[in-house]
Amino acid sequence: MRWMLALIAAVVLGSCSQAEERTGLYIQRFFGECGSQYGSATDISKAEGECGIITTMINAFQAQHPDLSVSQNVVAWPGYPQLTAQMAARDPPDIVTMHGAVISDYAAQGLLEPIEPYLREAGIEPGTFTNAARGAVTVNGRIFGMPLDTHGGLWHINTRLFEQAGLMRGGKPVLPNSPGELVAHARQFRERTGKPYLIQSLVGDPAGAARNMYTYMMAQRAAVFPDPKHMRTNTPEGRRVADLFRRMTAEGLGTSNMDTPAAIAAFMNGEGGIYPTGTWMIGQFETEEKTRGRPLYRSYAVLNYPRLWGEHVVFVSGHAWVVPKRERTAEERSAIARFFRFMAEHNFDWARTGHLPAFQSIIDSSRFRALPHREDIAPLAEIGRTLPSYVQRQSAIEGIVGEEAAAAFTSQKPTARALGDADRRVTEFLAELP
Amino acid sequence: MAASIQRGRLPWWGWIGLVVGAAIMAAPLVWTLLLSLKNNAELVGNSGAALSGPYTLENYVAILGNDRTLRWLLNSVIVSLGTTVGVLVLCSLAGYGFARLDFPFRRTLFTLVLLGLAIPSQAVILPQHQLFATLGLHNSYPGLILPGLITSFGVFFMTTYMRAIPKELDEAAMLDGASRFTIFWKVILPLTVPAQSTLAVFTFLGSWNDYWWPLISATRSDMYTLTVGLASSQMNYAQTSGLGFLMAQAVFASIPIFVVYVIFQKQIVRAMAGTAVR
Repeated sequence: MRWMLALIAAVVLGSCSQAEERTGLYIQRFFGECGSQYGSATDISKAEGECGIITTMINAFQAQHPDLSVSQNVVAWPGYPQLTAQMAARDPPDIVTMHGAVISDYAAQGLLEPIEPYLREAGIEPGTFTNAARGAVTVNGRIFGMPLDTHGGLWHINTRLFEQAGLMRGGKPVLPNSPGELVAHARQFRERTGKPYLIQSLVGDPAGAARNMYTYMMAQRAAVFPDPKHMRTNTPEGRRVADLFRRMTAEGLGTSNMDTPAAIAAFMNGEGGIYPTGTWMIGQFETEEKTRGRPLYRSYAVLNYPRLWGEHVVFVSGHAWVVPKRERTAEERSAIARFFRFMAEHNFDWARTGHLPAFQSIIDSSRFRALPHREDIAPLAEIGRTLPSYVQRQSAIEGIVGEEAAAAFTSQKPTARALGDADRRVTEFLAELP
Repeated sequence: MAASIQRGRLPWWGWIGLVVGAAIMAAPLVWTLLLSLKNNAELVGNSGAALSGPYTLENYVAILGNDRTLRWLLNSVIVSLGTTVGVLVLCSLAGYGFARLDFPFRRTLFTLVLLGLAIPSQAVILPQHQLFATLGLHNSYPGLILPGLITSFGVFFMTTYMRAIPKELDEAAMLDGASRFTIFWKVILPLTVPAQSTLAVFTFLGSWNDYWWPLISATRSDMYTLTVGLASSQMNYAQTSGLGFLMAQAVFASIPIFVVYVIFQKQIVRAMAGTAVR
């Protein structure tokens, strides 16, 4: 009996002393769980995909900082119900992944810490972020997130079909420069290949249609959100955009009945010329490009959305690390700063996912430009535009805008009615916010 | 109704209808199973590849390769069994009280219980979350089990069932000198086994499949239940780049439910046919 008590005491005391030596850092993230493949991996250069790279980066951070005890909590995408619940229970993590479009929601409620002090301690100058990355994490002039990347819309192109359609020049796809040219190219493509020019995921994917609306309204310098409480898409600029895609769809130049998986499968099977989606699909399509026998084998290119009106800009967002407000010791604050520094140092590794780096120096680097297709999409960091940071609930708004825009693009509603409905619904929604 | 559907009495077209109906019901399940046995990359371009081999168990290996999966499974078992046992105890006691005991405001209280049927759980989720935060019960088994014990349906169900048991049984036991608890424990409770089974099955299934409360109460991955844990494992665009894995997760999460169904098939069918209530 005595020896048993001694053993229990030893275990209890031992565990206490071990637990209190190291500073804890509680990281919460999305991007999935892949512990079975990357559970103990620390070689970041060998990791692939969002989940593999982020898991390995955090493993490597722990390995390089043995004085810290890093806990990693993987949440179901996108993790905001959990984060909100944790904040309500006053038990938020130390660092959380967050989309740029969501930061203003939490920052406006005073739930996030501005991170300039952490950046200073980490030796990171916000001026080294790309314009797009900085814009995504800045709210009312304060920086609320350590940007991880910029992600936005891209045109993924089947170059074999483009060649067949006579739309390649000097080995590069020829993209339109005006709405009229877009329709002309699409008709030529349709005539010569018998396939749709645009593969559009307009079913259950509001982000795609919203991206078109935001991008081409911004290009026309339209104020989509003239103030924090109103949205204006039912304008001449907005109707021009919606009518263009409506015409494309009505003429069969773009698909109208596909959801995201169907559109991805269609593009990968060579059933259309262009799939407008985001940076996140580059890795997947690159794999197809390298796989012999696949329709995209040596037949893939990716470019930024073309300029159809006015200014060449593209609506973008980004992923960032944010710091929820809570009491912290100096050691805990220092641990956060060290994590930011590590993430900044490995931003190139994250860029292998297909997302654009958050630092201009990496975009300008030869090793980034040497990655497939990155030279072509690098300008996104310059031409990328976020929504004004005063617009809250951007995710929910995107859902409404995308739903109504898709209704217009597919002729389910007259353009003016669809965009009018979008404006009314969003404005009513914004009026409910404090 | 159940008695009238007997083999031999059904005309041939009835059998054809049943077979077609069963095939339609089984098709998505078979499709899910086939997808789960395919390599993810093969399915990205063409999900129809699931109809032909080669098949692989790699998606299941990946699920079990996650060192937390078994922990999530254990959490789900503890939470579902804990909730089920708790519901049976509380609803049986409450049902007996409402069915047999005469106490002040009995009708009013029972009406309040019935009103609970009309209130969706989402309507009380915020105060419930705040209450559990104040009590420090998030990320704990009590935090996951206690909300599931409040079930107006269970109380209503057991009350209705117990009311249908003849009071003469209680009176006979009383004449023999049995206490209230003895009557409840030795006379009434054994007679409610069919209702208990039905309630247990529904409660277990509901608790096992619950997603919303575990999502916001168990925010640390070691306390996730299987539903939340598997969802957290999914990468963005899992429906395209990880379709096989996604389907394997669905199959894996269904296995315990399938086992419960096989064991309690009789009670479930009775409950569905409405014969568990006298």
